[in-house]
Amino acid sequence: MRARASLRYGVGRLARLAVGLLALALAPCAAGTTPPMDAGEYLFRAAGCEGCHTDVDAKGPRLAGGRRLETPLGVFYSPNITPDPVHGIGRWRDADFIRALREGVSPEGRHYYPAFPYPAYTRLSDADMLAIKAYLFRQPPVARRNTPHQLPWYLRLRPLLSVWKALYFRPGAYVDDARRSAGWNRGAYLAQAATHCGECHTPRNLIGGFRRGLYYAGTKAGPEGSVVPNITPDKATGIGRWSRSDLEYYLESGATPEGDFAGDLMAEVIDNSLAHLRKADRRAIATYVRSLPPISHAVRKARPANAKDEFDY
Amino acid sequence: MKGYTSLQILKAGALALLLAASLPVSAESEPEDIIKYRQNVMKANGAHMASIAAIIQGKVDYRQDLTHHVKAVQEINKNITALFPKDSDFGDTKALDAVWQKSADFEKAAKDARVNADALAKAVAAGDSKAYPARLKALSDSCKGCHKDFRKEEK
Repeated sequence: MRARASLRYGVGRLARLAVGLLALALAPCAAGTTPPMDAGEYLFRAAGCEGCHTDVDAKGPRLAGGRRLETPLGVFYSPNITPDPVHGIGRWRDADFIRALREGVSPEGRHYYPAFPYPAYTRLSDADMLAIKAYLFRQPPVARRNTPHQLPWYLRLRPLLSVWKALYFRPGAYVDDARRSAGWNRGAYLAQAATHCGECHTPRNLIGGFRRGLYYAGTKAGPEGSVVPNITPDKATGIGRWSRSDLEYYLESGATPEGDFAGDLMAEVIDNSLAHLRKADRRAIATYVRSLPPISHAVRKARPANAKDEFDY
Repeated sequence: MKGYTSLQILKAGALALLLAASLPVSAESEPEDIIKYRQNVMKANGAHMASIAAIIQGKVDYRQDLTHHVKAVQEINKNITALFPKDSDFGDTKALDAVWQKSADFEKAAKDARVNADALAKAVAAGDSKAYPARLKALSDSCKGCHKDFRKEEK
């Protein structure tokens, strides 16, 4: 009798334990842990949409556009990408969204100015593009009308953009380089397609096409009048003296190996985008960037290759 | 002992004046010099921050140096606003106009840095090594945050 009672007691305990474990598994995350963001939000962060499509200076509504982007060719104002059906992209079908990013063409068939970096986003996969669209469509719609760009008359003819595209734009999703590691390919995909580093870090010619042979080599004529550094592994004019962990730490925190902190536009990129990536992805980007051909291109005063002093810019 | 004679006081006074006059004192510092001074202070700030990061990340084992690096950062960040007096915006500076036009925001950013530097110093003084990474990150974010709004990336 005592044995049977203890058996029932044992089974009862086991049952309660099982129920308890099940409850723990199904319960929302404990305090102090944030649930991992979904794929759409993650890619949205990697692509940096929020930074350009929100008018931070005027404390404008999120993703409703109006951010002023000054370039050597004129002033652009970002459009509303909230799911508002009239002023935003609320009526866009999946195919419209893919066409906009892959081909740089609006649902009405008009070319986009490459101030919208579709030459980078074209490299995103269909699935990733649609994940971003799904995230955008979950955001609150804002009925803010788009501000027209301020461009000289000769640049206002959108059909001319087809000429620019013929010269400088090759649409198509990223394809793995089979000779390279998975990590390198991941980094190349993120940098080329999502974080679009080259859009700022590669110098352009007079009509905004990328200058040949200067990939990631920096420019004095960056957006908003900024000097954009050479991030190729050149020791004198680029970041050749940075270790991989230096670069990973920079992408996470904005701290250079000299303890300087990114300001201005790059601080925004880190805050809005790079700081949110997984460590492994930042490592992949660092691997890719460090594998690029070193290019001697001084946008700041060049340091001699064996100089001891790091501080002079 | 007797008090000083008036001649002795006169001599002492003349000596004091002579000494004071020999120290170069400008009525107003040149903006260029203020700019160079604060750029050097910021470079020192950065150099100590990089050292702190290297130690806290375990890249080097100079833990005994942590105290003096942190003290330097704490001192420098005590009064960043003082490095940006009025009229020190003329010259080769990367400081944006916002430093002086949005002075309330700038003071807030400077205060942010001071508070976080103090918190890091406190953690180091207490030997609370578990808290170091978070404190360093908070201070790094202050540096970045202020640069984001008040320093231009233009030469």
